[in-house]
Amino acid sequence: MKSLKVIIDGIFRRNPTFVLVLGLCPTLGTTSSAITGMSMGLATLIVLMCSNFTVSALKSIIPDKVRIPAFILLIASFVTIVQMIMQAWLPALNESLGIFIPLIVVNCILLGRAEAFASKNNPWLSVCDGLGIGLGFTLALTIIGSVREILGTGAVFGIQLYSADFGALLFVLAPGAFIVLGLLIAVFNRLKEGR
Amino acid sequence: MKSSLRNMILSLTGLTVAIGAALAVVNEATADAIKETARRSRIEAMEAILPNFDNDIIATQELSEGLPLYRASFGGEPVGIAIETYSDNGFSGHISIIAGFDNNGKITGYRVLGHQETPGLGAKMGEWFATEPHSVIGSATSLSVKNDGGTIDAITGATITSRAFLDAINNARQALESYKK
Repeated sequence: MKSLKVIIDGIFRRNPTFVLVLGLCPTLGTTSSAITGMSMGLATLIVLMCSNFTVSALKSIIPDKVRIPAFILLIASFVTIVQMIMQAWLPALNESLGIFIPLIVVNCILLGRAEAFASKNNPWLSVCDGLGIGLGFTLALTIIGSVREILGTGAVFGIQLYSADFGALLFVLAPGAFIVLGLLIAVFNRLKEGR
Repeated sequence: MKSSLRNMILSLTGLTVAIGAALAVVNEATADAIKETARRSRIEAMEAILPNFDNDIIATQELSEGLPLYRASFGGEPVGIAIETYSDNGFSGHISIIAGFDNNGKITGYRVLGHQETPGLGAKMGEWFATEPHSVIGSATSLSVKNDGGTIDAITGATITSRAFLDAINNARQALESYKK
């Protein structure tokens, strides 16, 4: 029961993008379309679950003073593994996410969860937390990506809703990312308070 | 665990060794697949941009003016040449393209292999220069955009990308001509 609550908290009450407002660099950079936003979220989700698990499992043998380098080491190795796998079997995805995959290492969500959750809880709960936060991140990136893609190009997930000629290109470009993110944070907080 | 010097050195060393080993295993497991994927995507691109060919085109790789060049032949007869080219003058930097030429030096097609251009603007180059009236296919001369006195319509709102694209195509043509000499 507790694990379910941890997962749901990660998606809503502690949503990394809309509530904690962490990891904004990939959020702004990879959400120019719904599909790249979602892929970025899923890649982060996998790394986050693995890093949360190992950090939690190894917390008793990592001395306090060197815990940050140890966490970064673990996160970086999982990111490298994910990238190798994507290069081998998902080249198109690897191409479209580009530099943002290696940059997962410095995504503060990962170190944040390792420090704030995994180093204080057991491995099972830590994996649940990774899953919840990861899903929250994926959800946020998919929503932002969808809104930007619909407003900018009139399409989402490859389905053309209206002619691309009517799209406001601003939303696909960097300023649109800030505008959409700001508005969505406002909407999300309004809904959260309303509950 | 207590943060004594001995503990810190031991735990970090142990961790790095274990992680190094794990990465080596994954690297070993994916190295062949990564190479094979890259090879296949090259062949697929060349099949799309060149006339029918039946030789092992990857094996024909040569360098001309620093650009990789591949000779396609069908039943022993040469049918065309593909050249991997690039430009560093894109709106967001590097653009890499593979272009195909027939025996008369006419462009038979191209494929954008990698770029970081703006979605909705520069990123349209994959289709833009393959559709009339701004197509580069069939052209046998050096190309430039209309703003620079050329004949090709630049992508609306992405003149810089268009320049870089044509630049890369022109470099490929130069490599082709110096190879033929």
